[in-house]
Amino acid sequence: MNPQISKDLSLRWLGAALLVFLLGGCVNATVDEMTYNEPVAGIGESSVVILGRRHAPDYDTEFDFIECIGDHIHSGDPSIEVINEIAFINQFYPWFEPRTAPMQPQTIDRLLQLPPVAERFEEIKLEYMIWIDGNTVDTESTGSMSCGIGPGVAGCFGFGTWGTESEYEATIWDFTDKVEVGRVSAVTSGQSYMPAVVVPIPIIAPVQGTACDSLGDQLLEYLSAHH
Amino acid sequence: MGVASLASTISDRKPRLLARALILLCLTLLGAGCTSKQVIVEGNFPAPLLDPLPITVGVIYPSAFAEHEFFDEAKGRAESDWLVKTGEAQVEFWDTLFTGMFENVVHIRDWETVQSHLATVDGVLIPTIAELQYAIPMHTNVKVYEIWMRYEFRLVDISAIHRQEDGALTFNPDERLAAWPITAYGKTPTAFLQTDEEAVNLAAVVALRDAGAHFVTTFGATPDVAAWLDDIALQQQGSGTEPVSNESGDTTTDTPAAVDVPASDGENAVSSAVGVATKRHHLGWSAVSPSGAVGMNDDNTAKSVVTLASMSAPVAGGAP
Repeated sequence: MNPQISKDLSLRWLGAALLVFLLGGCVNATVDEMTYNEPVAGIGESSVVILGRRHAPDYDTEFDFIECIGDHIHSGDPSIEVINEIAFINQFYPWFEPRTAPMQPQTIDRLLQLPPVAERFEEIKLEYMIWIDGNTVDTESTGSMSCGIGPGVAGCFGFGTWGTESEYEATIWDFTDKVEVGRVSAVTSGQSYMPAVVVPIPIIAPVQGTACDSLGDQLLEYLSAHH
Repeated sequence: MGVASLASTISDRKPRLLARALILLCLTLLGAGCTSKQVIVEGNFPAPLLDPLPITVGVIYPSAFAEHEFFDEAKGRAESDWLVKTGEAQVEFWDTLFTGMFENVVHIRDWETVQSHLATVDGVLIPTIAELQYAIPMHTNVKVYEIWMRYEFRLVDISAIHRQEDGALTFNPDERLAAWPITAYGKTPTAFLQTDEEAVNLAAVVALRDAGAHFVTTFGATPDVAAWLDDIALQQQGSGTEPVSNESGDTTTDTPAAVDVPASDGENAVSSAVGVATKRHHLGWSAVSPSGAVGMNDDNTAKSVVTLASMSAPVAGGAP
């Protein structure tokens, strides 16, 4: 390849990386962990399910957040089988609906008194059930922006900013012993900006993504033999 | 009138037609602010993970239930009319639930079905929607779409269903075996690129699933239903069918279902369901095959009247 073209490409990549870095707002993250009985040799052929709590009146733990954590764990250690949340809830309907979902690990024993439920748990070889409770909310927002459109011209001018906060707690249940074996929490916050001079440029703080990575890393460390 | 006058008449009409079209256009533009939103609830409903109760249950879906829709008129220009049609989803969902919960389900749509299943149907379930409320973020300033429903379930003996002169099926509420309410709630948060209609649909699906969970977990805990199940167990024992042995080897006798545990959380819900499962061990027989659907108009105050959907018979009394 021509060295000049190669240099141009490198500069473009560098420029793109710099732009991505600049467009990302700042995020603060705090992670707390308290776990017991870590599976030192990993979980073998057993599976893990990650479920969101949705019984609170004013919020639901987001399905895409649960999926994000599952993907994070599976990509970190492909040997860990993470069962899809929606598939699991449908397979066990109606026992994991917001109204019926067990709130304590001891309740699972009573659920296992139902033969079809016990059989299905046997089939999926579940080792850990992880409950995630929390959500992400936008907080205060300030600024103003006005946009206009005319014949052959359109544009915006102004500046807006808003805060985002995530607060999640993961509770790990050992499904074999029906006990809680750990809690991991992640609190993240960040400020996003949107300056607009003709074109609005969103500078979004990846608050939820950081919470997902933080929780995912801790859970991966707990579950995987390689981390 | 000659050819010329006829042509003149036609040309005179053109401006009028144009004027009408313009007026129509203006009205359309003026009315554009008052939009109407319609949701036909759709969803995939999973079968319940249960050992079906070995009984035969008849089901009547009243027409007000099977064609249920909810209309809310806009209060102002900023709001929209809302029409939420839940009927088809209701029938699909409850069919799935009942089929998974009972060993045999018979859809009672006409008098012939009643007659042919007199000896085999243990009871007939008649669901009605007594109330439905919805809320969208515009109403509440909370970023959540909500649907709340209250059902009234009635369980009647098949012999209590009668035919009126016009062919409509009726039953006397005094003859019912049980009646109980089921409430259901579904909510879905606002999401990027999600329309109001999609969010309301999702909230309705969540509410239906919640209704099913509530039904499953409270069915055996309803005192009249528990008594009905006890009666069936007694009849079965009286007819000489072998009682079923439990896991410890003891022969089961008639024990009460979990009648005193209202399912207010997961733990109690499971207790109740386990109660139903225990009761299931007292029952060991089945018959009949499922079929069609039914239309019914319901009068909550007096007696219920079933119209014969298959014969397109008119509604015979009762208020939806």
